[in-house]
Amino acid sequence: MALIETAGLSKHYGPVKALDVLNLQVEPGIIGLVGANGAGKSTLLKILLGLIRPTAGRASVLGMDSVTETRAIRQFVGYMPEHDCLPPDVGATDFVTHMARVSGLPRTAARERTAEVLRHVGLYEERYRQIGGYSTGMKQRVKLAQALVHDPKVLLLDEPTNGLDPTGRDEMLDLIKRTGTDFGITVVVASHLLGEIEQVCTYLLAVDAGHLLSAAPLSHFTRRTPVLAVEVEEGADRLATALVAGGARVQQSGGRVLVALESDAMYDGIRDVVADLGLSLVRIEQERGRLEDLFRDAAPPSGIVQ
Amino acid sequence: MRASRPVTAATAQAPGAPAGSIYDLGYRHYEGRRNGRGYAMWSLFVESFRGVWGFGRPMTAKAAPFILTGLYALEAVIQLAFSSVIAQQAATSGQAPQLVGYHTYFTDFYFLVFFFCVAQAPELVCRDQRYQVLPLYFTRAMGRIEYALARLASLAMALFILLLVPMVALFVGDILMKPDTFKAIGDELPLALPSIPACALIALSLAALSLAISSFSPRRAYSAIGIVAYILLMEAIPAAIYSVGQQAGWAWADKLFLLSPLTPLFGALSWFFGRPLDRQVFSGSLTSGDYLAAAIAGILVTTGVLLYRYRRMPA
Repeated sequence: MALIETAGLSKHYGPVKALDVLNLQVEPGIIGLVGANGAGKSTLLKILLGLIRPTAGRASVLGMDSVTETRAIRQFVGYMPEHDCLPPDVGATDFVTHMARVSGLPRTAARERTAEVLRHVGLYEERYRQIGGYSTGMKQRVKLAQALVHDPKVLLLDEPTNGLDPTGRDEMLDLIKRTGTDFGITVVVASHLLGEIEQVCTYLLAVDAGHLLSAAPLSHFTRRTPVLAVEVEEGADRLATALVAGGARVQQSGGRVLVALESDAMYDGIRDVVADLGLSLVRIEQERGRLEDLFRDAAPPSGIVQ
Repeated sequence: MRASRPVTAATAQAPGAPAGSIYDLGYRHYEGRRNGRGYAMWSLFVESFRGVWGFGRPMTAKAAPFILTGLYALEAVIQLAFSSVIAQQAATSGQAPQLVGYHTYFTDFYFLVFFFCVAQAPELVCRDQRYQVLPLYFTRAMGRIEYALARLASLAMALFILLLVPMVALFVGDILMKPDTFKAIGDELPLALPSIPACALIALSLAALSLAISSFSPRRAYSAIGIVAYILLMEAIPAAIYSVGQQAGWAWADKLFLLSPLTPLFGALSWFFGRPLDRQVFSGSLTSGDYLAAAIAGILVTTGVLLYRYRRMPA
């Protein structure tokens, strides 16, 4: 059974289709949910949490229906919203303890878990100070701590690196990675920054305009392609002409020459052609797929692309 | 589980933890008890109740509730403090002393309770809207209805205590004036006891009304103005229509007083303490039972508005 499953999930706001017949299955791991702003990422998370009702279709978390078994789901789900969600006039310890108790943890357990989780996210002495005086990075840590405090099985993070500087972002991503790998908690990270998703996720869900563009392990998107990129300092045109004359399928892109890789012997062939022309070779490498291609290429409207 | 491995200096450290953090035992899962909805509501009730009085908040947050409570109880406390003097004077002059009564206390000093609502009700519900804390509650064991009810219960409890403090002071003062304490308790108790249901009614009415109004704005100031405006207007408009109606001969005009937020509370006090309505204050033909029914209906309607508002609240 998949951890998170949706079937024909749709959410319409009047004429706007935030989600349009979304089918997906999520297995445990660190899952990146990528898409541009307005692609439907937050809407999907909110439906999974039971905060909003889908217009059509169904969604389930841990095998429980998001509409009829919302309460049961919530016990096992932690949610970190995209927006600020912390009152400024209480300390982090008080706030997170309160949230633990509202999640049903008895008083003592709530205190212990709070201390543990705040230490885990890297808040130490400052946790007694009022949240209003925290930096954005510290606030993001408190938001993560309140989502973790009741030890959920699934963590839904909506743009967790929003507003963070590069160091803060790396720390937050490292924290997410540790949470996913060391604790065995499934983490769904919604983000519009592919670079971040690439750093932490093992599985990728790409959504665009309410549709699922693709769902596959991250390695699928970054695997090697059967194309050799040849880069020379100058004379790319001459190289391309020579290679075509030699019978290769060639395409020029920027200063690079892309050659269809048909056999390993092509490496030697290209080297010889470059040497014969007297060009200075910068590199020959196999092209890798890039995540950006996902959104650049025309995509099928729905369904899973493997 | 990691715990089953022998804990040595090397294994105690979580993999991936920065070197040197020897106290980091890694993440442990919570295997303990998880309580349900009722506990979540109780936790929010306790937190809100502390919040109303400013506990767990900066000192400035404690000023308004405690000063207002002090002012509201002041008259009763003064009577308590001078109870021996009053008793002596009464004994020498042979006249019964002029005392503040249980049944008129709220009517005399209601504006302080009203200020308390204006100051503290927005505090309870606007903060979570303004700082967008609500989604955190709504994604936990707690639903929207439970959230609203817990907040309502905490303000009602705070108001109940605020209202009861002077009643207790009056009760103690009245006993101390009598020479025979035990007999005095027996005499005074039946007079004082109706204050408990009466205070509960007032507390619930004002809590539900002020929270319902506050919940419509995330800004404290607007909520506070809203409460003041609503109460002043709804007191003034029926009175104005009634005075016109008296000349125009509208028999129904006095029924409008039932729509006011405060007048039914004053009227219901007479019902609880079994006293006739003061016709100089309560014009028209309404009885204290009518006012009581209007007060209870008011609680139901305002609570309904509050719950409706939270059902529809975007999260």
